[in-house]
Amino acid sequence: MEPSNDVALDIIITNVVAVFRTRCHLNLRTIALEGVNVIYKPEYGKVLMKLRKPRITASIWSSGKIICTGATSEEEAKQGARRLARTLQKLGFKVRFADFKVVNVLAVCSMPFAIRLIDFTKKNRPIASYEPELHPAATYRIKTLKATIQIFSTGSLTVTGPNVQTVATAVEHIYPLLFECQKPLRK
Amino acid sequence: MTSRTCKNCGCSEIDLDQARGNAVCTSCGSVLEDNIIVSEVQFVEGSGGISSAVGQFVSADGPVKAPVLGTGFHTSLGKESRAQTLQNGKRQIHNLGSQLQLNQHCLDTAFNFFKMVVSKHLTRGRKMAHVIAACLYLVCRTEGTPHMLLDLSDLLQVNVYILGKTFLLLARELCINSPAIDPCLYIPRFAHMLEFGDKTHEVSMTALRLLQRMKRDWMHTGRRPSGLCGAALLVAARMHEFRRTVKDVIGVVKVCEATLRKRLTEFEDTPTSQLTIDEFMRVDLEQECDPPSFTAGQKKVKLLQLEQELAKKLDEVQGEISLYQDEIETELENSRPRLRGIYAAYSKETDPLDEVFSQASCSSPTEVDPEEDEELEAVAQHFNQDYICQVIQGQQQGGEGGGERGTEQSPTPPPPPKVGPSLNSILGPLPSAASLGLCESIQECFSVDKNSDDKSERGELDLDGIDDNEIERYILNDKEVRIKTDLWMKQNEEYLKEQKEKEDRIAKEKEQGTYKEKPKKTSKKREPIRASTAGEAIEKMLEQKKISSKINYDVLLDLNSKGGSPALPTTVDEPPPGAPGRKRLSRRKKQPNKTNLSLANTASIMGKRLRPLISSTPKKKRASSQVTPNLTPAAALARPNISSPPTPTGPTLEENGPVAYDEAAREEEEEEEVEEPCVSALQLLGGNEYGCEAEEEEVF
Repeated sequence: MEPSNDVALDIIITNVVAVFRTRCHLNLRTIALEGVNVIYKPEYGKVLMKLRKPRITASIWSSGKIICTGATSEEEAKQGARRLARTLQKLGFKVRFADFKVVNVLAVCSMPFAIRLIDFTKKNRPIASYEPELHPAATYRIKTLKATIQIFSTGSLTVTGPNVQTVATAVEHIYPLLFECQKPLRK
Repeated sequence: MTSRTCKNCGCSEIDLDQARGNAVCTSCGSVLEDNIIVSEVQFVEGSGGISSAVGQFVSADGPVKAPVLGTGFHTSLGKESRAQTLQNGKRQIHNLGSQLQLNQHCLDTAFNFFKMVVSKHLTRGRKMAHVIAACLYLVCRTEGTPHMLLDLSDLLQVNVYILGKTFLLLARELCINSPAIDPCLYIPRFAHMLEFGDKTHEVSMTALRLLQRMKRDWMHTGRRPSGLCGAALLVAARMHEFRRTVKDVIGVVKVCEATLRKRLTEFEDTPTSQLTIDEFMRVDLEQECDPPSFTAGQKKVKLLQLEQELAKKLDEVQGEISLYQDEIETELENSRPRLRGIYAAYSKETDPLDEVFSQASCSSPTEVDPEEDEELEAVAQHFNQDYICQVIQGQQQGGEGGGERGTEQSPTPPPPPKVGPSLNSILGPLPSAASLGLCESIQECFSVDKNSDDKSERGELDLDGIDDNEIERYILNDKEVRIKTDLWMKQNEEYLKEQKEKEDRIAKEKEQGTYKEKPKKTSKKREPIRASTAGEAIEKMLEQKKISSKINYDVLLDLNSKGGSPALPTTVDEPPPGAPGRKRLSRRKKQPNKTNLSLANTASIMGKRLRPLISSTPKKKRASSQVTPNLTPAAALARPNISSPPTPTGPTLEENGPVAYDEAAREEEEEEEVEEPCVSALQLLGGNEYGCEAEEEEVF
């Protein structure tokens, strides 16, 4: 059975993680005391700063490395990162916006059918693994794309990959495989 | 014995003489080889006329270099690391495997897996115990034995998910495709444990049938097989008139009560549950159900839809109500006496309110937030000033939540004083900037949409689209900075104190010239414990020694038939969560004081058990440079006959230290001979640490 290409699947991106460097040393205490939405964790040696506009949480290390999480698109991640850098600049540090890179994208998607996980795992033996004792979903890792897809029996998928394009490709890749092992819904 | 051509004449006819061990060219007579090494099996005559072959068996994975050359004295006292690892692994596999009652074939297979793992260097950075457990579980899966990962984690006291991670990794690296777990495998095992007697087989069959039905009804995908087994067995037991409570089943199956109940409820929802017992055994329903989580999801979607419909209806009702309100208002106005002249100005007061009013009524249909609907609903009942206030509130809330949408709003009217406190309570302890910020952020929404990323390559910050004003708000002004500094300092006082102490210490040591760069691990030097009985010695040791995570203190308590305090495990097993080093020490010092009394009894019983193992002590344990203050309360309690100043609280313990040491030393001398046998029990329990410490002391 060939899957119809007319089906439009909604791939919703829920989280984008990006890193960048400011190329200068940051004094965490200053940031902690003068910033508004800031949590200082001296045990871990980092500062958490939360922005409201693109809803973003950033972990800032004193070496100047910053990890931004919580954005819902790559553009937003970049914008948030730049905003953050601007804030740090205003606090008095000589920041530069260097090496911005989106590291991870998490998306969810829902199939219009339920899936037989055991069959699916049997057919895709080494690439897919399913351990019901540990996790209710089957994990499918695509090495070429470096993407991981978690497949639940209800037909929902969560896909993680290094960028949005990879995620889309992964979903396309796996759709035919899932279509074969589907379970037609009754009600 | 390569036949080559002669070097001198090039002739290829070479004569090999085995007896002499020569290779000679036949044409020119030059000797090409002399003393040829022979590789043949030789035989030697042993005592009694038995001839045996000369040689040794060398295993393929044994030591690489030949162990015996010439004389045959043992050069290999320490074997190679690889052989040691494998031997160690084999031993552990057999230990663990025998506890699981695996047969020899399984254990051998597990050992083979282990060898593969070691050769692929996958043991590096992983605990040996985890790797062993994963190998054993691999075997269990491939053989299809009814062992769960939970069993292994129970034995090792390790988190299941950690073991699972290791197991998955090994399976992937070794390319072993283990078949998926079938819950039917576990039924015989659990049925046996539930003790159904003669009818075990029947009950198992029924349970199997139930399980298959569950599979058809899509209850088993994504669920732990043990939970399903538990539910199936419970129902099967009841069907065959055995009384097994939920608790019994849980104890055997190792899931929690909530899970079991949930499975039962799910099964109840399927049409099969409506059949009687006889019908079930005979008939198999054709229809299959959807997975329960799917139906739950569907229900949620339906609820959402219902809510939306309700909202729409509400809007309609709203519209009607506002129409009525308009009419009433106009009526009221008409009936009010007209004010002329100077008072005409005051009559216009009502207009802004009207504006807001009408705006609220026309803007509310455009915003379809369920939160707002609730508010508007409640609000529709009031026809006075409160209504307007709340509407403004709702607007502002809707404005915040839907600010991104850029709904058209007039600049917010200065909120009447009543709204002030309620706004704050809703918005939380935010500064007043929030209400101002709304307008600005909404305006920004329209302006901020572009991004250009040309400049960012060189590291310059592209300021396009970043509003400085907004950024300004992220930075506190001076007064706020001071307040926050105070707050933070108070909050993190302990940490700051520690940091300061550390710096002082480093500074002092730098002056003295004894400053070491790398962080020092303060090795605790403990005074060797002298006690009159083994029981006392063990008691003292338990106080001093780090409380081990591998000891099941509940069992220790059970040993004591007189009954130790049940509070023991909670106080003792509590590992202080990642706190800095000093905190940890202070807590541990206090702990033994509490647990002393209850440990005393158990310790004495343990002592009695260990007496046969006691051997003589080494003399070097006498010297010690530091005293742990813990000894003093122990000494006080253990030997009331010897007077020692009781040490009241934690901090003062340190001051009494030297005094107690002198006493302890005196005590040592007095009862040396009697104590010697007991200390070695400590040695056994204390393990290698004692020995090492004693050696360190001597070096000093």
